[in-house]
Order: sequence, then C-alpha cells, then structure tokens
Amino acid sequence: MKTLSLRNLAKTYFDPYAGAHVTAVHDVSLDVQQGEFVSVVGPSGCGKTTILNMIAGFIPYSGGEILLDGKPVVGPGPERGVVFQSFALFPWKTVLDNVGFGPKMRGVPKAERDRIAREYLALAGLSHAANRYPNELSGGMQQRVGVVRALANNPAVLLMDEPFASVDAQTRMTLQEELTRIWQERRPTVVFITHDVAEAVFLANRVVVLSKGRILDQVDVDLRRPRVWDDLVNDDEFKRLSARVLQMVRAA
Amino acid sequence: MNVWLQCWSGYVRLTQRWPALAAIVPFIPVVALWTAVTEAGVFPRAFLPGPLDVVKSFATLTYKGILPDYLQDSLIRLFAGAALGMALGIPLGILIGTSRWAHRICWPILLFFQAIGDIAWLPILLIWFGFGLTTMTFVIVYTVLFPVVLNTVLGVESVPRDLARAARSLGASPARVLWEVTLPGALPNIITGLRNGLGYGWRALIAVEIIVGTSGIGFMMFDARRAGSTTEILLGMIILGLLWYIVDAWILAPLERATGQRWGLVTS
Repeated sequence: MKTLSLRNLAKTYFDPYAGAHVTAVHDVSLDVQQGEFVSVVGPSGCGKTTILNMIAGFIPYSGGEILLDGKPVVGPGPERGVVFQSFALFPWKTVLDNVGFGPKMRGVPKAERDRIAREYLALAGLSHAANRYPNELSGGMQQRVGVVRALANNPAVLLMDEPFASVDAQTRMTLQEELTRIWQERRPTVVFITHDVAEAVFLANRVVVLSKGRILDQVDVDLRRPRVWDDLVNDDEFKRLSARVLQMVRAA
Repeated sequence: MNVWLQCWSGYVRLTQRWPALAAIVPFIPVVALWTAVTEAGVFPRAFLPGPLDVVKSFATLTYKGILPDYLQDSLIRLFAGAALGMALGIPLGILIGTSRWAHRICWPILLFFQAIGDIAWLPILLIWFGFGLTTMTFVIVYTVLFPVVLNTVLGVESVPRDLARAARSLGASPARVLWEVTLPGALPNIITGLRNGLGYGWRALIAVEIIVGTSGIGFMMFDARRAGSTTEILLGMIILGLLWYIVDAWILAPLERATGQRWGLVTS
C-alpha cells in the first residue's frame, strides 16, 4: 500500500558563482504508505526543501526516481498537492474561489465547486471568511485556506513545506492541533517538511531525520491521537522522542 | 485663530461631500492672479487675454461647432492609438516577462527605440506616410507602446513564483497559469503603464497635430497662432489640462486603485 516511493534520489546542480557542481541530495530512499503522516526534519541546508520540490515536480532530479502509485513523477500535477510557507494564495480571488481553484481546473461546474469549497472551509472553521480576500485575513487564517485549498483537490499525497514557519507561536500550536484533527478525519498521505523537532514529532507517525542530503535515521511515533499540546507537553513518551530526534538533528 | 480652524474644518467636510471641490478650489487663486494681471493692464489684451475672454471664445467656438469637432477628432485619435498600443504592448510585455530568451533578445532593442522619442520619428514618417492619419497613429502607438510594455514586463516579473507553482500543482496547465495567475498578477502594473502611456500619448498627439494636423486641438492652437488669436491658444492649453485631469483623476486613477489596493498588491 505504498503511495510514494523515492529510490536513490539525487540532486546535483551547477553553481555558476562557485564554478563547480554542488550535490544537495545524495541517494535518498524513502517509502510513504497511503494514509501515513511523515515529517522530514533537519537543519537548514540539509536538502529537505529540495526533496519536496522534486516530489512536487517544480525542479527536475538528477539521479534515481520518484514513483507515485508506481508511476514516475514528471513535472507538477494535481495528484501532489502543495502547501507553501508563503501561503501562495491568489490575492485577486476570494477565499471561496481560492479553495475552488483545483476543482475549477478539473472542469467542475461553478455550483459544484462552490459546494466543495464550502465543505472544506467548514472543515477548517472558515465558513465566515468565504467571500473575503486573502489580504483581509490574518496569517494563521491564510494558511488554513492554503491547507484546505490543497485538500479540496483530493491529492494522493499532500506536500507541506514548513507551512507554519511564518505564523506566531500561539497560532502555530493551534494550526498544528487542527492539522492532526483534519488528518484524522480525512486520512490524507502527508509529507511534512520542518526544521522544528517538536512540530515534527507532534504531527507525524514517522519522523525522518535528514542531514547533508542524506537520511540519517527514522523514528516511529506511536503517540495516541487526538494530539493536543496541553496533554503532550508533559507526556514522557513525547519528551523522550523529541529529545532523541533533537539529539540527532544537533549532531547532524 | 479659532475662526481659521472653523473654516478649515468646514472646508474638509465640504470636500468630503463633494470631492470635485478639492480639485477646483486650488485654482481660485491662480485664476484670481490671472484676472488681476490682465485687469491691471500690465500687458496689452492681444498679448495676454483675461479669463473672461477665454470663456467667451469657448462659448463661440462651441456654438459654431468647431471645438466639439476638433475635440472629438483628438480624442478618437488618442483612444484608437492607445487601443492599438495596448493590443501590441500587453502581449509583447507578457512574452518578454515570461520568456528569458525573449527578454535577452528584445530588451536592448526596446531600450534603444525608447530613446528615439516620438517626435524624432516625424521627419522619416513624413517622407514615408506624408501629412496624414497614418503618421499621427504611428506616433501615438509608438508613444503608448513603451510604458505599456515596460510596465507589463515589470508586472509579470513581480508575480511571486510560488503562485504559478501553486496553480500548477492544483492542476492548471501552463496556458491556464498565464490566464489565471500571470495576467491578474500583472494587471495593476499594466494599468499603471496604460496611465503613463495615455499621458505621454496625449502630449505627443498635440505635438503631432501642430505639425501635421488638419483638425484637432493641437491644430486649432497652431491655426490660432497664424491668426494671432492668443485667446484661442490659451483656450486650447486649458482644455488640454482639464481633459487630462478628468481622464486621469476620474477614470484611470480609480481603476488603478480598484485593482491593486483591493488585492493588497499596492500599499497605501
């Protein structure tokens, strides 16, 4: 039941300023099962965003392969939804039209895509904001829209690139709790990129630690759900796992 | 002191109610000074007519139908030229903004031709096309083209890369990205380009009408010089300023604000 497969994935590019080839990702192999939530954590420059951009199809890879349901990935496509750190909402579209964008590209009629969009907005508690423009919303609300916009397209895998890095700490915790709740309800397959160890452990079934373009280790997380910060802050298992991952990231 | 504050407060509230007032009031001292200078007889009347003479000339020329005809000719030339300039400029700007190769090839050529001002084309245009509509249209299109192209390129390049990526991974084809992301993202800049282009085009039109025209406001002014009618010359100048103010403040500026500010793309 594996959905996403990275096999000996590598990325080398030519740096014209240094005048040399630079290897950002070496030989990464990783399988993600359907319905799994995998966090990829590592210090900046470890290649985690490069890996996500290759899976999304935004940049080509130079070695190995990426398979989605057995088929090689070429270029961006709607079966791989992306949530961006910059939110990347369309400023000239209302919240409703942003969320309905994926269905619109599939040719879903207006009334039906509005219904889909409203359903997903309700999932994120955003029904009241349907007719507002993105710049009228707070950062936290904008990223909620970003998450449900990707989900409304029903992707086989949801790729999240440090999505909560640019909101304030309190909002971030709320968004993390909401994401675990939505994941439990809908069970999407998620690859979540972050440099925040606690966030990686809090959200995932499995944490992949990345260093200098290689997978250092993987840690399974069997904490019970629903996960809420008030419970986990003092949970021994959570503390033990976080400490272990943190140690690996710092040694990396 | 108190009286001044009262007056100021009254003026602010009045202009809020009738915004057009804020545009008219600053001209009161200008017209007053003009009246004072002409009434004092500093210059002979034939040299500098007063405001009243200009208003009378406006009434006569409107009554005779000359002014409405000329005004119509000028405006049709401007808007036809501007429409053609946009039809060429927006696609060209999008091509240069999206394709690195088009940018490399076209940009130096664009800057080269931008430096050759509209009027500098006239000598060769007069030989090629003669004193006629083709020459006039060429100059207007040429003038409108550059601000539209340059601002469109700027607009296309200012659209964040993540927006196009988001659209692609939501299932949009490259052509849909152009229509759904690139164009709306560049629209505030395109309108700024149009606003600048029309402004330059309006000035270029008058200059061309003076040289090659057989009708239009520019022609009217130059024709008046031949007859020695300073009143008609001043009337033409006032109409130029007034008309542009109306087009810019009542149509173009609100259009610019409606797109950019609504979306939060332009701050202020």
